[in-house]
Amino acid sequence: MAKDIEFVVRVIANTVLENEAYFSELDGVVGDGDFGYSIARGFEKVLKEWDNMDHSLPGNFMKNVSQAIVSVVGGVSGTVWGTAFLRAGMVLGQKTEITRDDVIAIFRSAIEGIKKRGNCDLGDKTYLEALVPAVDSLEKSFKEGKDTQTALDEATVAAREGAEATRPMIAKRGRAAYTGERSIGTLDAGAVAVAVIFEAVSKAWKENPMKVDSERSMT
Amino acid sequence: MKKFVNDPKDFVPEMLKGIALANPDTLKYIPEYNLIMRKDIPQANKVSIMQGSGSGHEPAHVMIVGRGMLDAACPGNVFAAPPADFVYQTTKLIASPKGVLHLLNNYTGDTMSFEMGREMAEADGIEVRTVVINDDVAVKDSTYTVGRRGVAGNFFVIKAVGAASERGQSLEQLEALGNRVVEVTRTMGMALTGCTPPAKGTPIFTLAEDEMEMGIGIHGEPGRARVKLTNADKIVDELFEAVSNDLPYQAGDEVALMINGMGGTPISELYLLYGHAHELAEECGLKVWRSYVGEYCTSLEMAGFSLTLVKLDDELKELFAAPAETAIRIF
Repeated sequence: MAKDIEFVVRVIANTVLENEAYFSELDGVVGDGDFGYSIARGFEKVLKEWDNMDHSLPGNFMKNVSQAIVSVVGGVSGTVWGTAFLRAGMVLGQKTEITRDDVIAIFRSAIEGIKKRGNCDLGDKTYLEALVPAVDSLEKSFKEGKDTQTALDEATVAAREGAEATRPMIAKRGRAAYTGERSIGTLDAGAVAVAVIFEAVSKAWKENPMKVDSERSMT
Repeated sequence: MKKFVNDPKDFVPEMLKGIALANPDTLKYIPEYNLIMRKDIPQANKVSIMQGSGSGHEPAHVMIVGRGMLDAACPGNVFAAPPADFVYQTTKLIASPKGVLHLLNNYTGDTMSFEMGREMAEADGIEVRTVVINDDVAVKDSTYTVGRRGVAGNFFVIKAVGAASERGQSLEQLEALGNRVVEVTRTMGMALTGCTPPAKGTPIFTLAEDEMEMGIGIHGEPGRARVKLTNADKIVDELFEAVSNDLPYQAGDEVALMINGMGGTPISELYLLYGHAHELAEECGLKVWRSYVGEYCTSLEMAGFSLTLVKLDDELKELFAAPAETAIRIF
């Protein structure tokens, strides 16, 4: 399971790098157009530092990912992603095995971290609009005993729906907030990024050669 | 894009290298953290003061590091707040036994980076206080909870706390002083043109030949209104009215009056604007104690300016008049 976490982080990193231009374009509509560039530099650093990270404990690995991000990414993006991975690392602590409950706890703590750090909540047109419904869906699926692929597929749908639902909202955080009503009718770049990442993870999980192992350890 | 760049990714580091090489006796450049700091800092009897922000606002903040001003500045990329780690590492490097004062302009990114960096520094036992600068009257506080932006008025906060720190004031005193300056400082800006961040390569917004944006932010954020261009006096009238109506003052009060160029406005035009602003202040019964005309907080090559009023008292006057040094010299 520890390897699964690393697998997912690698998929996230690759997805962010592949979508650098797309994410910046989304941000450029009402933000300052550097969202894709900023987080791509962060995950570029994660991949560069990968072999030097502490792979003995998943908690330490997640903290290393956080450190890599906050060492190069400024402002909102750096602190949001840095806080999310730091919180994940803190939840995992010294654990060597990771359960489904741990996965939900990681996400819940990351969400709380983002809310606190960004002084934001659902309805402010941020990452949370996609992340929260996706995690709600994941938790429900796990409780119902669904297999990981089904749980991921359903979470992906929830993330996409959440991202689409940002269109009529007014941005209340970040530089997009200054555009006020001009932000209505645009998608939140962060929420779309969450949906794109869930889609990529879900797809990669399906193709993951480690799938059999993963299923065993996840259930 | 027609700019002096090599690789756009190196724009900020190459600028910082230039600042350090131009000021070898006083400044130090630490490339790992985009850090420009005074060579003689930290000092045991002086609170260290730092500000970070996006780059592109020069001379703010990397070129106003010097005695009586900032002790360090850690910028991010152009118009992007510095990473939390830069804030943390800078705080550690300048940490004095009397503590470290963080100054930041009120933007979501700066606030988040500085909060995280401060927590990391506090975990190391460094005492940190923060003053958030939000002098821009163009943005209403109520509608969007991000609140007012910090713009050119940050100069006055830096000047006051910088001078007071040289006199050995405590961290608590400097925090209170900084907040007091924020309370009496008001600014509003406008733009005639957009500007182009080197890494982006295209203007962040464009204005037609006969258009101007009133209430512009220092990163090209929208202001109050995009309107038809009019003559200089009328533009000053509008900014002065917005700024003075927001400043709690009485006839007879003394003020500092700043006309700040946004990067692409000739000094001749800035003084033309100042002349009318000065007359307006006097018509309101304000006494202009000191003028500040030039580039203090820019948006790359944007043509435009901002107008700042600071209501003064004896303590602030003394601190503003105190000697200081910065990295940009013409003498």
